[in-house]
Amino acid sequence: MIPSTPFLCYITDESLPMVEIARQALEGGALMIQLRNKTASGEQLYRWAEEIQALCRLHQALFIVNDRVDIAIASGADGVHLGQQDLPAPAARKLLGPDKLLGVSVSSSDEAAAAERNGADYVGFGHIFPTGSKQKHTAPIGPEAIAAVRTATDLPVVAIGGITPQNAFLTLESGASGIAVIAAISRSGSPRKAARSLVDLLEHHH
Amino acid sequence: MLRQIALLPPSLPCLMIIREKHLDAATLLDLCVTVKSRAAGTGAKILVNERADIAAAAALDGVHLQESSCPADKLRSLKGAMLTGKSTHSPDSAMRAVDEGVDYLVFGPVFDTPSKRRFGSPQGTEKLHVVCRTVPVPVFAIGGISPENAALCRSAGAHGIAAISLFNDTSKFPELLKTLEYILVR
Repeated sequence: MIPSTPFLCYITDESLPMVEIARQALEGGALMIQLRNKTASGEQLYRWAEEIQALCRLHQALFIVNDRVDIAIASGADGVHLGQQDLPAPAARKLLGPDKLLGVSVSSSDEAAAAERNGADYVGFGHIFPTGSKQKHTAPIGPEAIAAVRTATDLPVVAIGGITPQNAFLTLESGASGIAVIAAISRSGSPRKAARSLVDLLEHHH
Repeated sequence: MLRQIALLPPSLPCLMIIREKHLDAATLLDLCVTVKSRAAGTGAKILVNERADIAAAAALDGVHLQESSCPADKLRSLKGAMLTGKSTHSPDSAMRAVDEGVDYLVFGPVFDTPSKRRFGSPQGTEKLHVVCRTVPVPVFAIGGISPENAALCRSAGAHGIAAISLFNDTSKFPELLKTLEYILVR
């Protein structure tokens, strides 16, 4: 289910209009959308999930919900992405069943190996470069760390954190299976063009 | 919360809703598992606010939803044998919740209370009566409930009462429960 060639994942943030930016990311070639919003109500998340899920189907992209396994199941999402402070992966896997995708955010080889043992299908690994999208208390780990984490797990490694069209190739050269971005799309003048330039780069590299 | 559970008499039928909005999901799951195990041997059913996934993962008795939560009918596949309840703040909202298939309702604020002013002016016992008469599920009155007015809620058709700050003083908790049990269960 995870694309076999390097792919782009767009993670939503508080930027609005939520659905419109996701639509443009898909039109630009993103193959995975992760619905992430830590402040919205359950009902609002569910409504967004329904709309973005439909768009993902249209574009044959994967739809993933961050943290909220309940919203993922309610909306028929393709999977869930969990941070280290979210539901533990084994509990989420039990609720999701064997077929849904489970992604886990990791920041070390140990966490990546644990995620694999706990039933994850891919790991989000970062933050690779300096980023302003999330409050971080640690220094960026740099693209070279991707090669190290790949020796600790067989799972696809999706690089995240401060990725731009200028530096994305560094993550691919270190073995990233995909890249996940927030601001590079949501804060750009044209989310569609921003997504397209990242996808061009991924395809070119491949 | 754990002190309150330790003071629950074994026979008292009640729902305890864990509402800790500031906790991350991992911490909330741990808390739910602890509360559920401590409540063993009491008459309390343990529910968690908002998160059906955490309720299911912790094998709780149910999930309690808000008007702003994911619609209850969309959570059916997660729900299994769990109870699903919903807080409602108007008769219309109560009817919608029933259409979504909830097992019980919390309705209010019935009386004026500082913590519930954001949900508008008090609904009063008349609207409580309308809701209790109309819906086919148990209704719990909330908002400014005291031992003095609990009987009014009961007369209006409420199955029970719900409160937060009323139960905060654990030194008076056992006596308060006896009083409420007398008013509600007699």
